[in-house]
Amino acid sequence: MTGSGALEDTTRSVPEPAVRRAVGLAARLAAVLAKRVALLVVLLAVVFAAIELLPGDAASATSERGEGAAGVAARRRLLGLDRPVWERFRDWLTALPTGDLGTSARGERVSDLLSAPLPNTLLLGSTAFVLTVLAALALGTWAAARPKGVVDRVVDLTSTAAFALPEFVVAVGLLLVLSLWTGWLPAATVTGADGTPAGWHMLVMPVLALTVPQTGWNTRIVRGALADQAATPHVAAARLDGLPTRQVLLRHALPGAWPAIATGVATSTGMLLGGTVVVETLFNYPGIGTVLAGAVADRDTPVIAAVVACSAALITVVLLLADLIRARTLGVRA
Amino acid sequence: MDFSRRQALCTGGGLGAAALLAACGGGAGTAPAAGGSPRRGGTLRVGALGRTSAITRDPHGTQGNESDYLVIALVHDTLTAPGGKDNNTVARLASAFTPSKDLRTWRFTLAEGAAFHDGTPVTADDVVWSLRRLRGTPSGAARLPGITAGHITADGKRTVVLVSDYANAELPLLTRLSTFVLKKDTPDKEIPGAPGTGPFKLDWYRGGNARLLRNTDWYGGAVHLDAIEVTMFQSPQAMANAMLSGQIDVASNAGAVAARTARARRDVQVVRRPDDMAMPIVMRTSGGPFADARVREAMKLLVDREAMVRQVLSGYGSVANDILGTGDPAYAGDLPQRRRDLARAQRLLTDAGFDFSRTYQLVTTEDVAGLAESATLFASQAREAGVRIEVVKQESGAFYQKTWLKGDFYTNYWGTNDSVVFFASKTLTTGAGQNETDWSDQEFDAAYRKVLATADRTARTAALRDLQRIEHDRSGYLLWGMADGIDLAAPKVRGLPKLPGYGRVQLENVWLAP
Repeated sequence: MTGSGALEDTTRSVPEPAVRRAVGLAARLAAVLAKRVALLVVLLAVVFAAIELLPGDAASATSERGEGAAGVAARRRLLGLDRPVWERFRDWLTALPTGDLGTSARGERVSDLLSAPLPNTLLLGSTAFVLTVLAALALGTWAAARPKGVVDRVVDLTSTAAFALPEFVVAVGLLLVLSLWTGWLPAATVTGADGTPAGWHMLVMPVLALTVPQTGWNTRIVRGALADQAATPHVAAARLDGLPTRQVLLRHALPGAWPAIATGVATSTGMLLGGTVVVETLFNYPGIGTVLAGAVADRDTPVIAAVVACSAALITVVLLLADLIRARTLGVRA
Repeated sequence: MDFSRRQALCTGGGLGAAALLAACGGGAGTAPAAGGSPRRGGTLRVGALGRTSAITRDPHGTQGNESDYLVIALVHDTLTAPGGKDNNTVARLASAFTPSKDLRTWRFTLAEGAAFHDGTPVTADDVVWSLRRLRGTPSGAARLPGITAGHITADGKRTVVLVSDYANAELPLLTRLSTFVLKKDTPDKEIPGAPGTGPFKLDWYRGGNARLLRNTDWYGGAVHLDAIEVTMFQSPQAMANAMLSGQIDVASNAGAVAARTARARRDVQVVRRPDDMAMPIVMRTSGGPFADARVREAMKLLVDREAMVRQVLSGYGSVANDILGTGDPAYAGDLPQRRRDLARAQRLLTDAGFDFSRTYQLVTTEDVAGLAESATLFASQAREAGVRIEVVKQESGAFYQKTWLKGDFYTNYWGTNDSVVFFASKTLTTGAGQNETDWSDQEFDAAYRKVLATADRTARTAALRDLQRIEHDRSGYLLWGMADGIDLAAPKVRGLPKLPGYGRVQLENVWLAP
């Protein structure tokens, strides 16, 4: 059934409940999407304004040492930096829907600049994401199996500690133990002719450095959501029926916990992407984090804005998925 | 996005890692001495610093990345190259260079057998085209000063003639670092992969990293290594870690912090290249508090040079004597070394009517390691003589816009240090383009003109000594010391260059011991 068909149905007669739900969902999705796009535009405007406020600009930051003031001024004109910031923002933004991410301060197309590092970061981020979700679910349910038991207390403590650890502390610890003391893993990422890491084992430490803090965070959410569910009548009833703990958790408590877990995991996306800036630099991983760090030093607004737009698009998609899961779960129960 | 915090953490993390690494080294030991006869074969894995956002593939462009310059310098040849202690300019693609009597016309003869990687012989036309292309870049005038495009011509197939607007005995010095030669009429699009004439051919390049293969037909002699793999590192910490975990064989220009970390390890050689970096304190001579030569001399007497080298450079450096170009074969090492003399400094300041009640701002940046620290330590040393100095840190871009060439009192750094004349021409003569101290001294200018116009070596050295004496006595530069360039290398690596600055990229004589 097409979307428009569904709409016609709603105007003519009382629609089927399934159709009504689908239409409601689509409308809600569109509204959420519109809100997110508006938010993204505001965010990008803030990025443009913030870089404007930093001392120096792309012309001076990328100028050759010894280049005269006239040379810098000429480059400033060439880069269009002599125009008002809102004008540059408007031009960049209106070109965005066509896939044109602009030109960097060094004259490279931004899309070319990001074409190799972006897949690398996605590989790093998605591996860390999947690992985080699996580990958090496993640890959270394990801890919930026997509230206030030994496992629950240990998981409670370690997950809090892990979440409190910044990525760089984890990264330095991993470097010392897994590389410099034992020699098990390479300390830095070396890339091959195709621009990807030369070996899968070079991904291990960067992924772990991102996974550990986020697993701490998500384990606490899983554990908390399961505790809330444990207090609901249907789970209590299941337990009183004498069902095995495993079945109570997986069949009765977990389904109701999904919305909270999905939301928690979705927020991790943003933190994971933020963490890559630190982790990629420490492990010399060829991703967009390192591009972003360099671009900030260069005051290279189009590159920074493009990275922000890509990350924001990704986060939006994941948040939408989380919304869908929530809508579905709540819908089923409604 | 919580960016500033992440940035702060990132730097903090780097330092933390370095401190931890220092703690985990083995017993003290010295790196094995280089020696033995060169052996053919092997792949050298080199790490060099660079940023993805600053990648440049054009040999005539501005190479912000050390990794890019390294790759370009191994694939392409310059007419001349940096040399050692006896001669700072040696032959490369040009096997000989001779001046006319008036030192304005220079003839460069191309090396016998020089050919591009595709087998085509190098002609004078190729060189002329390349030099004119270089001259046409935004910084072309600074890279080939005094030479206009029309004054670069070919004479036959193997001679290139450069005519300078003025007598210049040091012209070959100017052709050392950026006169990379490409085939005539190479389109801009093909420049990145264009064949060069250098000791290595480009196998592949991607995102700052590259693999180079031996050029078996190199005119310059036998190349020992089969291949060189260049890995770009975003941070010195990551490069040092890769070195310590054995992922690379050489960490190029790794810095003093990494050297301190590696010093305790038997499996790492610390290669010191003296006279690598100058970090002078610049005083304006044309106005402001330092216009009086006595005040400038007092500042030069306030500084505790040994302490500066020990603390700012971790000992990886040497004391200097207020003359720039310390690596020059004709450096006047016999001039009396200025030492700390607080009593004399105070007397000079009192005589000059120096205002002790004021606080003087010393502007600095964090562009290179140790620069801001040098300003802070100098300020505390000056305080012992009653001179109050406040250190002001500026962000790099703002520094070059607001302070450089304009301020009264600031720190700066220079990378080419094997020529006294280089600094005289660029920063010290009246009206020089980058006259940081705004200095104008007729006697100095006369000495400079004499140096450029004198062909006889002995007479030239004498003139050069006069020039250095004047610079030492009254210029606006307080040069307290020179930082060593530091490379880290695995024990098997032999024949690494000991030259300062960009001399570090000459890897054609490197070989690997079994």
